[in-house]
Amino acid sequence: MAYNEKKIEGNAAELAVVGKSRPRLDARGKVTGTLKYIADMECLDALHGKVLRSPYPHALIKNIDTSKAEALPGVAAVVTAKDVPGRNGWGAIIPDQPVVCADKVRYVGDAVALVAAVDEKTALKALGLIKVDYEPLPAVFSPIDALKSDAPKIHESGNLITTSRVVKGDAEQGFRDADVVLERTFAVPFLEHAYLEPDIALAVPGGDGSMTVSGPMQAPFTTRRNVAPVLGIPINRVRCVVTPLGGGFGGKEDSPIDTCVRAAVLAWKTDRPVRIEYTREEIMLSTCKRHPMIIRCKFGAKKDGTFTAMEGTIYNEQGAYASLGPVLPPAGGVHAHAVVMLAGPYEIPNVKVEGYLVYTNHPYGGAMRGFGAPQSNFAHESLVDELADLLKMDPYELRLKNAFKLGSRTATGQVIDQSIGLRETMQETRDLFGWAGKRKPTPDPAQARRGDKRTGYGMAIGWYRTSIGTTADGCGVNLHLLEDGSVIVYQGCVEMGQGMHTGIAQITAEALGTALEDVRVVAPDTDSVPESGPTVGSRSLTLMGNAILLAVQPIKESLMQSAAELLETSVERLVARDRFIYDRDNPDDKLALKEVARRCMGMGRRMMGQGWYTPPTATLDPKTGQGNPYFVYTYATQMAEVEVDVRTGEVTVKRIAAAFDIGKAINPMLLEGQIDGGIGMGVGYALLEKVILDKGVIQNLDFRNYLIPTSLDVPEIDAKLLEMHNVHGPYGAKGIGEMPNIPTPATINNAIANAIGARIYELPIDSESVWRAIRGATKK
Amino acid sequence: MAKKSILFKVNGKEVSIEVTPGEMLVDVLRQKLGLTGTKTGCREGECGVCSIILNGKLTASCLVPAMKADGSTILTIEGLEQNGEMHLIQKKFIEDGAIQCGFCTPAMVLAGKALLDKSPHPTREEIQLAISGILCRCTGYQKIIKAIDSASKAGN
Repeated sequence: MAYNEKKIEGNAAELAVVGKSRPRLDARGKVTGTLKYIADMECLDALHGKVLRSPYPHALIKNIDTSKAEALPGVAAVVTAKDVPGRNGWGAIIPDQPVVCADKVRYVGDAVALVAAVDEKTALKALGLIKVDYEPLPAVFSPIDALKSDAPKIHESGNLITTSRVVKGDAEQGFRDADVVLERTFAVPFLEHAYLEPDIALAVPGGDGSMTVSGPMQAPFTTRRNVAPVLGIPINRVRCVVTPLGGGFGGKEDSPIDTCVRAAVLAWKTDRPVRIEYTREEIMLSTCKRHPMIIRCKFGAKKDGTFTAMEGTIYNEQGAYASLGPVLPPAGGVHAHAVVMLAGPYEIPNVKVEGYLVYTNHPYGGAMRGFGAPQSNFAHESLVDELADLLKMDPYELRLKNAFKLGSRTATGQVIDQSIGLRETMQETRDLFGWAGKRKPTPDPAQARRGDKRTGYGMAIGWYRTSIGTTADGCGVNLHLLEDGSVIVYQGCVEMGQGMHTGIAQITAEALGTALEDVRVVAPDTDSVPESGPTVGSRSLTLMGNAILLAVQPIKESLMQSAAELLETSVERLVARDRFIYDRDNPDDKLALKEVARRCMGMGRRMMGQGWYTPPTATLDPKTGQGNPYFVYTYATQMAEVEVDVRTGEVTVKRIAAAFDIGKAINPMLLEGQIDGGIGMGVGYALLEKVILDKGVIQNLDFRNYLIPTSLDVPEIDAKLLEMHNVHGPYGAKGIGEMPNIPTPATINNAIANAIGARIYELPIDSESVWRAIRGATKK
Repeated sequence: MAKKSILFKVNGKEVSIEVTPGEMLVDVLRQKLGLTGTKTGCREGECGVCSIILNGKLTASCLVPAMKADGSTILTIEGLEQNGEMHLIQKKFIEDGAIQCGFCTPAMVLAGKALLDKSPHPTREEIQLAISGILCRCTGYQKIIKAIDSASKAGN
């Protein structure tokens, strides 16, 4: 990999823009309400698209009568499966989800017909006039049931989508060598992303056989490669325009394909613009969720705490469609990632993990902040904590004894050879939190039942990859220096609130020697930006930052050559910084970068650069799960103090402290925002959130019944940033978007256990679970 | 349905407009007055991103029938900037990094203003309570609380 041998990093000591807390570039538009999300923009002749959805979790479609709906004045089109012009299937990895179901529905919410009408009211009325005859089929609602030989078959290919495994050493021997072995089974539910901006798409036919789809989307290139085959046209005739995102969290990797393919089919049929906007209830009913998993996890240790073996089985519920669950070779997809992560950031000589990804007749799992890691982390970190109690060790010490350090070998046999600050995050968090003086050994339950309120302290550690573990992971950019010294960055990674556009503008400014204010990052539009991959997997700042550093090089050569001529010095002696270029020994005689840019233009010198960065190749043997699946990891430690009301089981999180090894903080303030938000979301996963299903029907379809944390639920967060330089990252950076969300549930769970002397193995940890755990009863 | 003309004051300007009984204030603001800084996220008063200041009180505009707004005084996010100068709370939101996706930001800023108008020096708990009716999925609320606190401290 020639690219990766290039040294693409800066000199930290001399940084002018990178590493500084700067307000985000879109702040003013957002704080004044001026920035337009797509729902704020009108398209005068757009039709309103609506989806008729299945009320059955599994049924055959015997007949659909659309005649009355078609006859309704104001209805422009009614679409059933036969009207889909191209491939009637979409999906981020496998196109197994029908745009409109032809003969069978597989979950409550599946699309059976689409309507486009002059207004929303007419479209809704038309939905009511469509008559569908269903023949209900037996349905299956758990991955374990779905694996039984007599289970109803949801897809022709069978219910088992894939089996992933990691095998290192000899787990059986490792357990024989252990003094203590602990095995537990954990369960985590479907989770809703709950981004506040509803899903929405506008499809506009070009009249020339092209189609433009606009909307909030995390993965415009994935959307593009789904819309094109659905319409039966080449990819170059589909244009995806990314409008500002009101949150994404992985959900808008998938749901925009849903809205865009459906709006596009309606627009194709009517030859008019069609807008589809889902209601909150529709989003909860039909779009992707975080995968629920049942995880059996077993650790063996010597008396001194040294881990000898780890074993695990994951029953990963995919739901009705494959979405981002399956393996994208070699190690992409939610499932492979969950399996790889289950051994935790621990050095364990013997590991055996097996995971089954299984279809059911539930809504489907997709990407959600952590991509399989939050589930695995909850299991291994709750288990390791309980193991510490069994060994009568401080859980901090048990973790420290086994945690990754430089040179450690992971469960997949990968050697961690750089940018590893896990132990440092543990030490920093311990000091920040005051762990040593606070935490007492976990009491026995009888003792804990006394009194009204009890306080507990818990911790968890975690790791998370940067990027997505597939070889298809290229990231491109076109960079232009303009004649007034301003810079424009054409790239396809998406700003969804995380701040990455500001981050890459800082990298651009730093590398060119200009100011942040002089750099503009365009909103991705697939007609004008190169393929950059999806904005997922905490990949974008790192990969795009590297692509930008490559793109800067030819532009910088032009600038330096022009400046050297003007200053009558040699290129090697020049420094570009803060909008000026000067001889390093004569900083007072400096040229404004904009003057040099004008000379570049005047001399016809190259003013554009192109960058294409592909990370070190991901490898993972499908049989053994051995290899280097991800090229670098971020590490974290979190500690929490909770108060438990013994009478009611109510849990209050009083405080969270955390530390992160993030390689390099390109913009510390925005990075802290990712930490606060990720931990806040983790509090919801720990204590509040669950999509409640009854025979395939979601019982909590709105924010009244599906609770996400409010300002009263998230405690004060103290966080510390550690920078263990990543040699593969721009200025040493690595990913941060997902890491903060991952260890929080186990941290809180372990603090609760430390308060009440009893362990809980299921999320969310609601008051009833705690109340019952205190009284030694299991939850009904 | 019987249309009715209502008269109210929006961002300092008298507005007279015809509304129908089923029409909600949020739609009048967004669609008829073009004040799209007010967002909709759930249309049932749970997410709070449609919050405005109605007669001095933070109110979810998706729950208010437009007819009920007759005679009222309304402040939306568009009314905060004066002569091109942002309100102190807006500046603090930017400086303190309280903005991420921005979808709840207008409502959060107005919640901060409604609080500081009544209680210029709130405690952290009072700030938490004042914004508790607005959901934010991005920030974990920390920097929003900080920005309102900074505005309070810089206010006088």
